[in-house]
Amino acid sequence: MALDDKPTILIFACNWCSYAGADLAGVSRLEMPPNCRVVRVMCSARVRPEFVIAALSRGLDGVVILGCHPGDCHYSEGNYYTWRRALLLKGFLEYVGIEPGRFQLRWISASEGARFAQTITEITDTIKALGPNGRRRPQEG
Amino acid sequence: MEQELREIVRKLLQEGAIEHFIGYAEGVEPLHTTPCFIEREEEVGALVWSPFCPYNLARYLHQMKNGAGKVGLVVKGCDARAIVELVKGNQIQRERVVVVGVPCQGQVDLAKVEEAFQGAEAVEDAGDTFLVTVGEEGHSVEKERLLREKCFFCKHPISFEYDFVLGEMSPFLLDRRSELEFAMIEEMESLPVEERRAFWRAQFERCSRCYACRDICYACYCQECIFESRAPRWLEKTTTSLDNQTYHLIRAWHMVGRCIDCGECERVCPMEIPLRQLYKKVEREVEQLFDYEAGMRVEDLPPLVTFQVDDLGLVI
Amino acid sequence: MKAIKKPHLVEWLNRVAQAYDLLGPVLDGVVQFKRVKSTNQLVFDYPNSVVPPKNLFLPQTECLFAFRREGGSIILEPAGGLERERVLFGIRPCDAKSLLLLDKLFNRDLVDTYYQEKRRGTTLVGLACPSPPQRTCFCTSLGIDPLSPEGVDILLADLSDRYLVEVTTERGEALLGFSRELFLPSAGEEKPRREKEKSLEGIEEKIDSLWEDDYWRELSRRCLGCGVCTYLCPTCRCFDLTDVGSTLGGGRFRCWDSCIFADFTHMASGVNPRPTGKERVRQRYFDKFRYIPEEYGVLGCVGCGRCSRYCPVAIDTRTVINEIIARSTK
Repeated sequence: MALDDKPTILIFACNWCSYAGADLAGVSRLEMPPNCRVVRVMCSARVRPEFVIAALSRGLDGVVILGCHPGDCHYSEGNYYTWRRALLLKGFLEYVGIEPGRFQLRWISASEGARFAQTITEITDTIKALGPNGRRRPQEG
Repeated sequence: MEQELREIVRKLLQEGAIEHFIGYAEGVEPLHTTPCFIEREEEVGALVWSPFCPYNLARYLHQMKNGAGKVGLVVKGCDARAIVELVKGNQIQRERVVVVGVPCQGQVDLAKVEEAFQGAEAVEDAGDTFLVTVGEEGHSVEKERLLREKCFFCKHPISFEYDFVLGEMSPFLLDRRSELEFAMIEEMESLPVEERRAFWRAQFERCSRCYACRDICYACYCQECIFESRAPRWLEKTTTSLDNQTYHLIRAWHMVGRCIDCGECERVCPMEIPLRQLYKKVEREVEQLFDYEAGMRVEDLPPLVTFQVDDLGLVI
Repeated sequence: MKAIKKPHLVEWLNRVAQAYDLLGPVLDGVVQFKRVKSTNQLVFDYPNSVVPPKNLFLPQTECLFAFRREGGSIILEPAGGLERERVLFGIRPCDAKSLLLLDKLFNRDLVDTYYQEKRRGTTLVGLACPSPPQRTCFCTSLGIDPLSPEGVDILLADLSDRYLVEVTTERGEALLGFSRELFLPSAGEEKPRREKEKSLEGIEEKIDSLWEDDYWRELSRRCLGCGVCTYLCPTCRCFDLTDVGSTLGGGRFRCWDSCIFADFTHMASGVNPRPTGKERVRQRYFDKFRYIPEEYGVLGCVGCGRCSRYCPVAIDTRTVINEIIARSTK
């Protein structure tokens, strides 16, 4: 991954719903901007807020958590925990000056290929508009 | 009060009820105390109580995990919240701790004293005021002028059984409305995002990652701290502003539902980073979103180990 | 001896700043020694900085070289040296003394070029300490004179409306050349004198006799294991080397480390020869009062008092020294 000015967005997608939705978007050849790097997790609740904090502090331009719709979590309630964490994290990140929009949580189901593509496009546009998140090579201090 | 405390501790040691007692002793410098560990009856004379006892001695309870005996300590009302949280988090068993409550009526901010009264040698609690001794003269000062910021919003646990009390344990109340407790948070939130970013970048720039804030915190007790972990390695020892940001944000996140605003982190920071301005944001969010306050009741369920379906209606 | 009127001092520094990078005490949250763009940023009314000026010679985070991959090879880019020669204004005699010790430590079998280059490229203009000293200062108990020009090129002493100027090196003399007319012969006034107290005779043997003493365990109960005392100590110099980046590129960094941290001596095998606070706290005082004196002939402590002043739980080095003397069997 070359370090350049195009936004780089990290996406955590849960295996059962949102990753399947992403897969569907791909198989359907839907057009999406190429800026996202998708990491599959078994459940959105697997995502530790420290991932989000470290990613944004190291200069990634955006971090997105995708999970199942509430009530549809493969593990029954994982996404409720994710929601609580995301609520707190969102307010907290914005408080220290990380622009709203860089961290987002969305619900995407396995059948929502189009919605995945649309969500990715929308989030990429938002983050492009915010500009780079001050990414610097470590040796530049 | 000191005499009463010493007598209680002396008896506890004499009866073999505790292995040691954690309290405050006089420091080397005027206006300073230092934590002390009393193991023998002859040593109880070292115990003191003054408006310069900021330490949350619950921090030292983690040392007892390796043993089996009982430990005693003196706590201010605010510190008792730490004990509630430690019991809640299964870090200590309440029966192994002998808690002596001291009715603190406000702690003094050293910086405020030094600014107002250079060369002050003593400050005593005189009920509604503080009495500052400079040389031969005594000055009576309104408490507000010298009080630690956190003391303006004194909170005790809603229910806590002290084993001994040196008076009536009730929060120290000043005429400050509780809405003001989060005033500095609201002020920060009213700034545009670029200004907030610039402010916090400048604070984190100054941080020397000495970890004093982590090491004084009662709630930081992981056997292997996330920042000591080698696999994964979250942070190297490099201290760029963004590395420091990672440290402070992760630690603040770990304080969700556990920070009791004892204010120690801010007091110990040698670079004077306004850490309470970070942690109180977390505290307020947890209160506003989940109606949760740390250290109030042992039965309360921490906000992140539970959820309500209604949460989905919450917006921030 | 010369003297310079107070308003002229700033004039002189302004001229110096045109040819050198000027480093001095500024208020950035707390008093720190930093590069200044204008003498307006300087503060003059300060006891001492929080972080000692060692960070100007041994930075807390220092990139030694950068590396990147290009095609099939790896390109190394050494860190640039000083762009300009520097003048450090406002260093106190205790900190100057500490630099003399660090010089020895960084100039043993292998010369530490990163440190030495910065030292060679910096002229030191010291500021003698005001009286009375900070309550935590105790340099005189260690035989250090807070009015001594030892270790600096020029020493200024505050005489209320002017500074007494004591030049000790050719380098310092050259610096005066920037405004020679502002430096007048001193009116024969005496440099203020400071009484030197005891020096710690025989502290090495005394502490040596206490290796098994319970005192270190007692101390370590209070000690939190944070890095404040070591990071703020002018003679502490431990560091860690680490590569930061990715397989595509990054840098090798040298960063401050602390022997008080629990994992300082934690080895890959899992063994930690200093497993508890007791061993680590003991080691720190032995380093200052036994190992360094034995190796280099000077005490490892300069009495600046920062460790005592900023220790979160008010552990005071003076108390430790007194305890060592009291408990010793030598």
